[in-house]
Amino acid sequence: MWTLFKLAFRNIFRFKRRTFITLSAISVGLGLLILSICLMNGIDKQSISNIINCQTSHIKIFKAGYFDKREELPMDITIKDPDRVRSLLKDVPGIIGTESRVLFGAGLIKGMDELPCLGVAIDPLVDPGLFIIKDSLVEGAWLEPGDAKMLVGRGLAEDIDLAVGDLVTVRMITSTGDEDFSWNAVDLEIKGIFDSGHPNVDNQRIIIPLQIAGESLSLDSQVTEIVVRLNADDNKTITTAQTRLKEILKTLEEPYEVVTWKDLAGMFLTISKMKTKNSGMIIFIMLLIASMGIINTMLMSVLERTREIGMLSALGMKKSEIMTLFIFEGGFIGAIGALLGCILGGLASWYFEVYGWSVTGFGDTYQKLAAAVYPVKDVFYADLTMDVLVTTFIFGVAIAVLASFYPARKAAKLKPVEALRHI
Amino acid sequence: MSLVRLDNVFKIYKTNGIDFPALGGVSFSVEEGEFLSIAGPSGSGKTTILNIIGCLDKPSKGHLYLNETDISTKKSTEQAMIRRRNIGFIFQTFNLIPILTAFENVEFPLVLKGDTNQKERRTMVEEILTEVGLKDFMRRKPSQMSGGQQQRVAIARALVKNPQLILADEPTANLDSKTGQEVLDLMLQLNQKTGATFIFSTHDKMVMDFAKRLILLKDGQITSDEQRR
Repeated sequence: MWTLFKLAFRNIFRFKRRTFITLSAISVGLGLLILSICLMNGIDKQSISNIINCQTSHIKIFKAGYFDKREELPMDITIKDPDRVRSLLKDVPGIIGTESRVLFGAGLIKGMDELPCLGVAIDPLVDPGLFIIKDSLVEGAWLEPGDAKMLVGRGLAEDIDLAVGDLVTVRMITSTGDEDFSWNAVDLEIKGIFDSGHPNVDNQRIIIPLQIAGESLSLDSQVTEIVVRLNADDNKTITTAQTRLKEILKTLEEPYEVVTWKDLAGMFLTISKMKTKNSGMIIFIMLLIASMGIINTMLMSVLERTREIGMLSALGMKKSEIMTLFIFEGGFIGAIGALLGCILGGLASWYFEVYGWSVTGFGDTYQKLAAAVYPVKDVFYADLTMDVLVTTFIFGVAIAVLASFYPARKAAKLKPVEALRHI
Repeated sequence: MSLVRLDNVFKIYKTNGIDFPALGGVSFSVEEGEFLSIAGPSGSGKTTILNIIGCLDKPSKGHLYLNETDISTKKSTEQAMIRRRNIGFIFQTFNLIPILTAFENVEFPLVLKGDTNQKERRTMVEEILTEVGLKDFMRRKPSQMSGGQQQRVAIARALVKNPQLILADEPTANLDSKTGQEVLDLMLQLNQKTGATFIFSTHDKMVMDFAKRLILLKDGQITSDEQRR
């Protein structure tokens, strides 16, 4: 077997140009495959990070019934005593902290224009310890608890030309029912502008102190949700915490809902799944190209070495050994090609992991389209992991070996006499 | 006991449904140590006989015995094992493996046979290459050798595993007469020294004169079978 191994290895360098072309096809194909997988994984990772950091946190607690109506931003399904609920959750393993929030529909009025947006009332003292908005301020300063001021996303500020220090009338919707639609208008000064990296958050959100929301929306201390931040993003940590929180909240008189970021980011997950399916198609096409290259190279090799195959047979090589020889050759081409592909794809992915892939040059329309699909903007970062490289390598070799079967069988089936007569 | 015995062997090739008889009932025996030439014009069936004796082809009818065992009906894997153990081949076009050195080409049948270790193989290969006058060419690849040298490597490759039978299909056809003569001298010398049985096909008068026994073929039939020396 070792002899076949050695012979096969040397044979791949016999027709250097052809081997080079095949190796190039395999390595470039697999390299691109690795890069595309790493980019997609990176975009997913960035998206999930943005969703958790800026949008949903790991877990949200609602009063029962809120989740189904969450798109309407109801103000009548609230958590009456959020501090009590939060105090119960303090010592649950895995929880870094919790924060009370109010989500409300709003409109920013500037002159004759009104721009609809999503209002988020936060606790200015708690939020910076759990989330990234304070760190993503690009202008102005962070909120104080009693400030009649607000923060706006950079996209929103640019849309209606707002600057720090501007006084803006905010129409806060206090009731969303068809018959009892009501609102309250307050003048708030813009204290800061943030750029979180999450396009929808930056284009649609205003952030105000919880105290102002309580007064303006007549909620007093009631909130619409409690966000829970965990110490890890993995499924196990999240579901374990979710189960524990449900158990704790069951002991309270009022019923609550405990949902994870996955329940709240259904759209993103659906698109992500679709993308995985589509990337499966890309993988299939790339591997098909690579395997065609191998089949072609091997068939040419069988044709050119027909006499040699006859001679090997005359020396006493069995059909199975001739077949093994050619499968080894295909396997070697696949292994070298896959290795080069891993190096190429790995280096390219590493570059995009470190420096990112800026999509700002693709124009505004593209960015808006991308933002509609992924909660990521401006720069996409690849996520290079060892398992992508290892899996692609194994897959590359396996495909090469499979692709070699047909030519190898063809070689093994040659009749020695006819093979020796071949010119 | 005969080493090889052909019993009324027929070979018919079919091309596009038309039968082309290559051998029409050939029978003869070969004893151990013989130096036999099968000669005849092109298309007379000499290569077909060598292919059948070498288990590379099967007779359409009749039997082939090696050491009085009928091997004409054996499966291809069993025939491969017989070739591996008992038969050495020398081809008209040398058919060396171009990526291997002379040493490795000669070593290859021993590796396939699998009954020697690396050290034993080294000794055997060096001995036989010295025997055929290629001691200083062991590390050369076929492309770095002349036709005569390549055929010497092929002879060494055929002999190295000490087979009972060596089949040579027009071994001098691709060589000039001087080199051809040298190769034949070498084969005869090895036949005398090792006792290996040589059967070779030819249509060359000089080669026929070298043979101890000469079988003449015409249109797939034996026309004469004579001891020359």
